[in-house]
Amino acid sequence: MLDVGRHPNIKLLAYSEVEKVEGEEGAFKVTIRRKARYVDEDKCTGCGACKEKCPTVVPDAFNEGLGTRKAIYSLFAQGIPSTHTIDPAHCRQLNGKKCGICAKTCQAKAVNFDQKDRVVEIDVASIIIAAGYDVFDPSRISEYHYRDLPNVVTAIEFERLLSASGPTGGHLDRPSDRAFEAELAELGKKVEKAQKALEKYEEKYGASSSDFIMKYRSGDYGDDADKAKWAEKFEEFLPMHESLEAMKDKASGFSVAKRLAFVQCVGSRDFRFYPFCSGYCCMHSIKEAIIAHEHGPETTSTIFGMDIRAVGKGFEEYKIRGGNHSNITYVRGRVAEITEGQNHNPVITYEDTRERKVKSQEFDMVILATACAPTKGIIELSGKLGVELDKYNFIKTSPISPVDTSVPGVFVCGCAQAPMDVPESVAQASSAAARAAEIAFHYYSEKEKAVAC
Amino acid sequence: MTKDVLVIGGGIAGMQTSLDLADMGIKVHLVERLPSVGGKMAQLDKTFPTNDCAI
Repeated sequence: MLDVGRHPNIKLLAYSEVEKVEGEEGAFKVTIRRKARYVDEDKCTGCGACKEKCPTVVPDAFNEGLGTRKAIYSLFAQGIPSTHTIDPAHCRQLNGKKCGICAKTCQAKAVNFDQKDRVVEIDVASIIIAAGYDVFDPSRISEYHYRDLPNVVTAIEFERLLSASGPTGGHLDRPSDRAFEAELAELGKKVEKAQKALEKYEEKYGASSSDFIMKYRSGDYGDDADKAKWAEKFEEFLPMHESLEAMKDKASGFSVAKRLAFVQCVGSRDFRFYPFCSGYCCMHSIKEAIIAHEHGPETTSTIFGMDIRAVGKGFEEYKIRGGNHSNITYVRGRVAEITEGQNHNPVITYEDTRERKVKSQEFDMVILATACAPTKGIIELSGKLGVELDKYNFIKTSPISPVDTSVPGVFVCGCAQAPMDVPESVAQASSAAARAAEIAFHYYSEKEKAVAC
Repeated sequence: MTKDVLVIGGGIAGMQTSLDLADMGIKVHLVERLPSVGGKMAQLDKTFPTNDCAI
């Protein structure tokens, strides 16, 4: 990533979108909208002082909503470019409220609320589409109860939980426990506030609240309004404090997820959604199970799949290594349903096709290996470029020219063409670069020839 | 005529293709929808089969 930002031949147009494409191979004219960041790219040093002071907290899309960010943000810590961006949907100042704290904090004077979108035009010889994919939304599969059951997560969400730079710092804290702890913290704040209010009365009258309430209840103070208020506050405080202690007790019993289940082919190889195999998910689940085991050696993982497709250099060995050294059990069978057991533990019902038996098993957490779905924006983008899509909405190519689209001079690589893993994406990217370079060099030498004449 | 190339998308594929072109001496315009490049790969903790760090 750093190389991309530093290379003198790469002009990085981040936070931008292609608006219009005209022309043909060798002479495309492309209009690009550079969306307003409300932060000057030339001035921002990426120090992050603004986001520390920003009062608006928003769910963080980079962490799949498992963490939070501010209304002024960088996508992730090592993001290139490191320029911060103001989210116009959440920023208080941009929504007509009084704020501007980030602008006051910024020493480089980079914040500019008046910034507008800019439209730039560029001339290019060829175009490469590397628009990527979207993660399949598993809430479409009602029997898996994703979103209803807190401890059923997608593979990419689990990836963020595993990451040392993620919302849990790499600890496998279960989402249900995290939600409970957030509730506990909220109640803790309320109790603290109530306690402070009581302390004021205690100081004023020189007695502890518990002594006072005994006397108050026996009617010692008559109808003293101030004392009545003190009593009221204490009566409110008591149940809150009690439930706080009970919650603390419960939370002290929480531990990281140790029994993991991976459900394969969620949305792929499923005729209701995508009949194709997404290719990388088997290996992705094995990798996540191995990493989880590295984090906690007592972690056990069960991978439920019709079969494990470990096609690639070193992949089969990786799968076997996982089974032998990382407590992974491979179960051949498709998961029928995920329900909730005790303590928010997901329960998986499945058919073990080896034993020909329907079974169910309880886990701490279930990870859904979601399909590689075509990216939503691809229909609009393909329309602008005039390239054809296949029946699933991936870019259409032919088997003998896998990076050529239906438009000469426009090429494709990565998951915009079909589901593929990182090594394959990289290989195809180099292939598309070679094809695009052929055209770029061809038209350049034509130009040189013309000048020489 | 120019010899610039436009790359749409700054994930692993878009970054790799841009670097290859740039190393060949071709000027690349890399368009990314989000504020930073990296795409889905930047969200990955490690990559298989070597468990190398994704970033």
